[in-house]
Amino acid sequence: MNPPTSDPQEILRARARALARTAEPAPNPSAMLDLLEFRLAQERYAIENRLVMEVSPFKELTLLPCTPAFIRGIVNVRGRILPVLDFKRFFGLPEVGLTDLHRIILVRGGDVELGLLADDITSLRQIPVSSVQPAPPTLTGIRGDYLKGVTADRLIVLDLARILADPGIIVNEEVDA
Amino acid sequence: MKWNVGTKLGVGFGLALAVFVAVGIIAYRSTQELLSASGLREHTYIVLSNLAQGLSALKDVETGQRGYLLTGETDYLEPYQAGLKEIDRSFGEVRKITTDNPGQQHRLDRLELLIKERLASSKETIDVFRSGKSDAALQIVKSGKDKALMDQIRAVVAEMQNEEEGLLIKRSAEAKSNAEQVEWTIVLGTVLALVIAGVAGLIITRNIARPLQELTRVAEQIAGGDLSTNVPADDRDDEVGALFKSFRRMGESLHSMAGTAENIAAGDLRTNVQPQSAKDMLGTSFARMIGDLREQLRSLGEGATTLGSAATEIVASTTQLASSANESATSVSETTTTVEEVRQTAQMANQKAKAVADTAQRAAQISQSGRKSTADMAAGMERIRQQMESIAASMVRLSEQGQAIGQIIATVEDLAAQSNLLAVNAAIEAAKAGEHGRGFSVVAQEVKSLAEQSRQATNQVRSILSDIQKATTAAVMATEQGAKAVEAGTKQTETAGESIQALTGSVTEAAQAATQIAASSQQQLVGMDQVAIAMENIKQASTQNVASARQLETAARNLNELGQRLKQLVERYKV
Repeated sequence: MNPPTSDPQEILRARARALARTAEPAPNPSAMLDLLEFRLAQERYAIENRLVMEVSPFKELTLLPCTPAFIRGIVNVRGRILPVLDFKRFFGLPEVGLTDLHRIILVRGGDVELGLLADDITSLRQIPVSSVQPAPPTLTGIRGDYLKGVTADRLIVLDLARILADPGIIVNEEVDA
Repeated sequence: MKWNVGTKLGVGFGLALAVFVAVGIIAYRSTQELLSASGLREHTYIVLSNLAQGLSALKDVETGQRGYLLTGETDYLEPYQAGLKEIDRSFGEVRKITTDNPGQQHRLDRLELLIKERLASSKETIDVFRSGKSDAALQIVKSGKDKALMDQIRAVVAEMQNEEEGLLIKRSAEAKSNAEQVEWTIVLGTVLALVIAGVAGLIITRNIARPLQELTRVAEQIAGGDLSTNVPADDRDDEVGALFKSFRRMGESLHSMAGTAENIAAGDLRTNVQPQSAKDMLGTSFARMIGDLREQLRSLGEGATTLGSAATEIVASTTQLASSANESATSVSETTTTVEEVRQTAQMANQKAKAVADTAQRAAQISQSGRKSTADMAAGMERIRQQMESIAASMVRLSEQGQAIGQIIATVEDLAAQSNLLAVNAAIEAAKAGEHGRGFSVVAQEVKSLAEQSRQATNQVRSILSDIQKATTAAVMATEQGAKAVEAGTKQTETAGESIQALTGSVTEAAQAATQIAASSQQQLVGMDQVAIAMENIKQASTQNVASARQLETAARNLNELGQRLKQLVERYKV
């Protein structure tokens, strides 16, 4: 404690110094991640905003035969025909029937354009890169491969660039006549 | 003495009567003489009186003459005129009365001549005076002729008066001696008659009354039942003697009857009584009595035997009767108690019946009001049914409107979702624009926020609508159930109305029946009261019967003893 002084101004100033918070340093824009958060089943996922073209309501899915299970079909969005991936099948999450409440997130990475099926679009958010922690070792397999990390509030951040670069998602299958 | 009692009485009182008759005759004759003497004396007094009156009238004539002559007033002639008439009347009377006396008649002739002369002189004097010759009249008076005539007249009258007074004295003396003689005769005759009657009475009394007194004494003893006295012997031949004989015979007869009665009393009925005569009532009665007694004793003996056996039977019967009466009294007492209990039960039943009747009346009234209530209820149920129908219609409309709201909400929700997507796309575009798109990013954020709010609101509205729809559905179902319930209620109300109608009829009948029951019960109670009273009377009668039976038993025993005693008594008689 400081020795008592008779000057009220001094006292008030001392109190203000004691109470004052140090201002947080302005976040470094390069250290921030712009994320689009969406929901799959009961889990929250996020992808980098820079790869997202737009989000669209889910409608008129055309089923495509002779495709892997994670390709749900193709949709027509403003004249562009895009395949629709279902991450639930990647991650082994429980499926529900498709409704028009589902959303399709249109993404583009390199020369690949496709739609990701999401139960709901939650929000756009910016988080520090530092807050993304590496995935726990319990997440293994493909999930472990596609993950960028997990935040403190259990937001699973996917590494969309790697997913899009994964040759496994390129379908090149011929069906014998 | 051979005279009977009548002769003795006749002789004794006949002597006394004869003396009285003699005295009476003598007295009568003397009285006749006294009466004639008295008539003669009265005669003499009349003659003397008339002589005096005639002389006085003559003096009146003289006085009138003199007054007239002195005064000349005719008023003084009134005594003169009256005197003339009185002279004629009085001396005429004297002549009529003294016709039996020639001396007096002779003197009367002389007197009449003198009077005529004197009256003529007076008349002459008055006539002369009236003709105005008062002096000549005075001369006539002065001549003294009138005075001489008056003196002669007075002398003749005095002679006649002397004659009559002498006669009076003589007749009075005769009457006096005659009366004294009669007086003596009456006194002596009466005394003599009394003496004779007394002597006769004394003799008759001694001769008749004494024996009669003796007989009376004996009759008094016989009347008192003493037959031992003997009638004294008297051998007189007259009625008293006969009376004595009859009394003696009567005594003997009564004595023999008494002996017979003594025998009968001693129980010996073997004596035969012979009636003294055909009219001997006592003897005949005794003979009949003995005969009847024998017959009755025989009958009595048989009767006593019969009575004895009958009394024995009666004793047995009465003993049985007494025990039966006892038993019946006990039974009657029990019956009385039972009847009393039944009566109390009937009373309670009556009270209950009255209460039931009242209750039934009230129930009838209540059921009447219940009938009205069911009618009201039916009307109410009808109204409820209508209300339920309108509620159901409202519910249907509400449901439809809820569905419409749901559609609207879906639309709004859709819009919100699209807005949200648009906001996300806008944000993405803004992010792509970099620093330039920062402001747009804020707008996109706001739009997204609005879309989110819209979504939440629509969610709330949807949940509310869902609740409303659930509630509406429930309400519709409830309304349908309510309608059904109301329908059922209406039917039940109708049923209840019919039931209550029937119930009202039944209750009314029950009330009437209860009233009749109460009346019947009242009658029954009255009847039971009468029965109770009758049973009480029967009980008393039964108690009296028991007492009577006991008395009867005692009486029968007494009767039995009496029969035995009677038998013994009858056996004592020798028939």
